[in-house]
Amino acid sequence: MGYNHIYFSEELCDGCNVCVDICPCDLFEANPEKGKPPIVRYPEECWFDGSCITLCPHKGAIEIITPFPMRGAFIRT
Amino acid sequence: MADLKVIPVETDVLIIGGGLAGCMAAINAAGEEGVRVTLAEKSNTMASGCAGSGIDHLWSYIPEVHEPMGYTLEDMAEDHRQGIAYGLFRRDLFMLVASTMYDRMLDLERFGINFRYEDSITPGKFRVVPQFHSVPASFNFDGAPLKVKLTGEMRRRKVNIINRVQMTDLITSNGQVSGAVGVDTRTADIYFFKAKAVILSTGRSNRLGRNLRSPDFNTRIPSSMSGDGTVLAYRAGLPIVSIEFMSGGAGIGAAGNYGPNYGGVRNTVQPAARIVDGEGNIIVPRIQFFDWANLGKEKWTPSVRQKWLEERKAERSPQGEGGMAAMHNTGGGPFYLDFAEATDYEAEYIEWSIKNEGLGTQFMRYFKEEEGLDLRKNAQEYVGFFGGREISANAAKGLWVDKDLETTDLKNLFAAGDEVAGLNWSSGPGAVVQGWHAGGMAAKRASAQKALLPASEEPVKARKQMCSDILNRKRGFYWKEIEIGVQDIMDFYCGSVRSERLLSRGLDRLEDAKAAQMKADNPHELARSLDVKSIIDNAELVLRSSRERKETRLSPAGFRRADYPEQDDENWLCFLGIRKENGEFKFTKYPVDK
Repeated sequence: MGYNHIYFSEELCDGCNVCVDICPCDLFEANPEKGKPPIVRYPEECWFDGSCITLCPHKGAIEIITPFPMRGAFIRT
Repeated sequence: MADLKVIPVETDVLIIGGGLAGCMAAINAAGEEGVRVTLAEKSNTMASGCAGSGIDHLWSYIPEVHEPMGYTLEDMAEDHRQGIAYGLFRRDLFMLVASTMYDRMLDLERFGINFRYEDSITPGKFRVVPQFHSVPASFNFDGAPLKVKLTGEMRRRKVNIINRVQMTDLITSNGQVSGAVGVDTRTADIYFFKAKAVILSTGRSNRLGRNLRSPDFNTRIPSSMSGDGTVLAYRAGLPIVSIEFMSGGAGIGAAGNYGPNYGGVRNTVQPAARIVDGEGNIIVPRIQFFDWANLGKEKWTPSVRQKWLEERKAERSPQGEGGMAAMHNTGGGPFYLDFAEATDYEAEYIEWSIKNEGLGTQFMRYFKEEEGLDLRKNAQEYVGFFGGREISANAAKGLWVDKDLETTDLKNLFAAGDEVAGLNWSSGPGAVVQGWHAGGMAAKRASAQKALLPASEEPVKARKQMCSDILNRKRGFYWKEIEIGVQDIMDFYCGSVRSERLLSRGLDRLEDAKAAQMKADNPHELARSLDVKSIIDNAELVLRSSRERKETRLSPAGFRRADYPEQDDENWLCFLGIRKENGEFKFTKYPVDK
């Protein structure tokens, strides 16, 4: 698998597919297996609004690892 | 590939675009007895548009604060005309927004949005902050759940929300809009709408230049916005106004390639912020936090406006924050946005405000949870981001409408929000107010019309054929290749400094993009191909309008011509509209309001 930055927890995600329904860029696909996390079909089309996390009913089910080019413009102490 | 299905939908008011403006339009239209309201949205109204994941400010005339100061609506209009629009101004559109945004705020409160705070000492218990005008005039509020709440209100009022449909054509009958065509982004079904009145509210145009702020869709405004509404209207022969004011390109912003969209250091997110260099020297000092104790107590006079205009000019000067890119390019920097001098209260307030606007929520998750950073301990660096070109708030591009938001060229077609030309930085308030107003007007118009007008099936058949071709062909370009090619053309031939020769050559090159045949393996890729068609048309209009405006106009949108380096108010202090009539491009100048 190539580039991806969106990860689902198999334990916390119940396949409700709210994230699939609301993603403004339509980058998810519902898993053909009911109850399983969605498939991240078009990760390169993400706008990073985080609505998937905000509107997910299960805290911690979705995690975004920010892509490398977007990281690091800070002074670390 | 199976034959694409056509889905007919009959309605009274069709709203195209379910962002802030479209949702407000739908809510108000649905309040009219017996009027069927359908909203067509490309993604999902819960999270779509510039306000999709939140908006933190709405500017407004606020009587509790402004009346005691002797600051009138006319004063605010003049602030806007001089300091925001730089003369490219529609007074009627401004007055509608400024004078009714307060009432709309009360509506938003009723829909479940919070504007009042226990710790607030301002009249009304609001958080009123300076943003666009010479006095504080913006509600800072809990805007993160806005689209979710508005979707809930639409459902309560039985609006027929159709998500995942991308609109492609208007259908007209004898000078009146009578329907529209759309494509389902997941099934490629073709929607054939018939409507008595239509509201266009698809917002801004994006993806018009390479976004070197990687990844590609990590753009400032939502990457799903491809200026579809502009193209619908243009294809129906309507003029598109102010599209030459495309901006973006090379720039510099805090938190670099993440780009949480703070705006400038004097943006209301950060009065406690400073800009420092790598040695800790203060380039731009912090200012006093919001002076709520004195809000509304000082009398406003025209000298307040004078001082404010001078401050704004200074911010844009080479010594001000606007000069950081220039300083970087001549070996200066690095520069940091630093909150070291912020108090506990200020830091908490700023974090709250950031979380309510657009990309801010996810940015704070990255900053605090992924990186374990602290606003006051870890300065954010200004990294050069080559933001993609967009046509945005400072352009006020779109349709020419009358004072009630009906387009002057097609009866029963209304526009709202960033789809409307003539009011710079209308932004959130523009969307909220104009959406509401257009919704009310369209509903009344539909109510008064007994039957639907004829809507020809020809545009439906043509769009179905075009979509089938893209899905069926064996060989073709992937949508992304064409998008990159068009963005390269715009960056090279329509950059920060334009000229007749380069713009003309850009138009020649664009012909290749128009002729290129795309191939899509599924409806999602088809939808992206349709995005690209919109991007191409927007690009053509930008190139042609840029070529027509024979002057340089630095404010409001940095329009520079190498071949016409002076501002020419005598000939060009006006709005410029472009339309296509019988295969030929025609231009119209529209007057500004003094």
